Amino acid sequence: MTQHVDQPAGHIRSLRDFLELLKTQEQCITWPETVMPEPDIRNIAVAAGRDMMGGPAIIFDKIRGYPGKRLVLGVHGSFANIAAVLGQPKNTSIKNLFYNLVSRWSGQSGALPRIKPELSPVHEVRIEKDFNLYDLLPLYRINAYDGGFYFGKANVVSRDPQDPDHFGKQNVGIYRIQPHGCDHFTLFSAPVHDLGRQMEAAERHQLPLKIAVMLGNHPAMAMFAATPIGYEESEYAYASAMMGAPIELTESGNGLDIQANCEICIEAEYVHGQRLFEGPFGEFPGSYSGVRRVPVFKVTGISHRQNPIFENIYIGKGWTEHDTLIGLNTSAPIYSALKKDFPEVEAVNALYHHGLTAIIAVKNRFGGFAKSVALRALGTPHGLMYLKNLIMVDADVDPFDLNQVMWALSVRTRAGDIQVLDNMAGIPVDPSAVVAGKGHHLIIDATTNVAPDPVGADVQMVTPPAGKQIDQLASLIQKLQEATK
Amino acid sequence: MKCPRCQTADGTICKEGKENGQIVWTIYYCNACGFTWRDSEPEDTLDPNLRPAAFKLDPTRPADYPLIIPPRKS
Repeated sequence: MTQHVDQPAGHIRSLRDFLELLKTQEQCITWPETVMPEPDIRNIAVAAGRDMMGGPAIIFDKIRGYPGKRLVLGVHGSFANIAAVLGQPKNTSIKNLFYNLVSRWSGQSGALPRIKPELSPVHEVRIEKDFNLYDLLPLYRINAYDGGFYFGKANVVSRDPQDPDHFGKQNVGIYRIQPHGCDHFTLFSAPVHDLGRQMEAAERHQLPLKIAVMLGNHPAMAMFAATPIGYEESEYAYASAMMGAPIELTESGNGLDIQANCEICIEAEYVHGQRLFEGPFGEFPGSYSGVRRVPVFKVTGISHRQNPIFENIYIGKGWTEHDTLIGLNTSAPIYSALKKDFPEVEAVNALYHHGLTAIIAVKNRFGGFAKSVALRALGTPHGLMYLKNLIMVDADVDPFDLNQVMWALSVRTRAGDIQVLDNMAGIPVDPSAVVAGKGHHLIIDATTNVAPDPVGADVQMVTPPAGKQIDQLASLIQKLQEATK
Repeated sequence: MKCPRCQTADGTICKEGKENGQIVWTIYYCNACGFTWRDSEPEDTLDPNLRPAAFKLDPTRPADYPLIIPPRKS
């Protein structure tokens, strides 16, 4: 694997810098009309999701009842914007973005310069009492039957309550947050997640647990904080390494390491023993998660930049910003895990709903080989619950080009190539599950039959011309077509 | 004001959205079931008769809703 890392175009230190960059690429617009919080913002976000390749970020600065407040959606809502995070041209193909990302996937160290709190933009405005989240943020209901006005894209920092001085055990993750009244909120994290584990320890041992909720983050943090890394690894260091650029940190009012340039930081502490109804919330499979009783946090301090921008996300039935935000980060670790044992793996496309359907391209060494690679994918940390439908294709098929994948399914599958493993672990929020948390894995081996499998009828495949010459001809055809306008 | 989700009359005002000194909407929080709503939202959110049963909640039956991290037994 190469160690090539591109700098993001320009020097991106914050969400603000990134929005300016997107504007220069015609990838950020300001909504021209006054909008109602509901249903206008939801409607516009859903419409924006129709252009997964090129849709812009959308800034709202005329929201009824919230004079002077700013909201941005869709910062990671298209692959053109993901390309901008990675410093690539906006028309870069998804496959090339994938290869760009995996080229960053090893062994680099991050740079985390420290900024004094008094010099950090996030502390420009400080609130120590009379907290009201609804005064602070232009909150709104994301989906019609959500239980409240959620934050869907917060980076939450927490430290291990049993080892609070350990920097690596400081966790940064994306968790959904539902405000309850003016100054409390629930935070949904099951014990399998890092913060859930910390909340469980705080509850069991009656230890304090302080957190910092960062809103309006460096675009790399939003992208990489959700990537599963080791419990003792720092998400900050990882995100900085993946970007090949520093991420500036400072200290929050309650002693946690936060991004010095984030827009808003809400400090809070765990309330022992209290549980509130949380949900429903429209989730990434396109269904609502139900109501649960969830731990509660109380706001203890707020810092924000002057005229802060509240960054949120639309999430629900795809395609949504959530799919673009996490798609490549879901694909890359699966590829990385497979590549160690099977260098024949060419690419992994797990863009579809956190990998509920994924396509793996592999050089088929012998009959049955692709199925073994599929089983290895199902044994990766993400695969064991998320990879529900797995399609294996040959290395000559681009797994990111669904026309090619459908071709492979059409002409390279036999009955014996379809296998279902039933009664396996699955994700609890899969709406098709009979029992939440259980389900099937489906493997469709759409690779070519090779020995010792019988090849069957005497078929000779067409080998169409490919390569640079054909790429140039395709480009010429486009130009000739444009010239006719 | 009764909660659109659980019909309990135990709401707190969290915010009045104002423009030019006029209130344009009000956000309420239900202390019984934790629901938040704005009185300018579409009818299918606010009208209990239009709200599907799956999106109602009975706060007197907490055991119907799973606990994610159980509180420590004292």
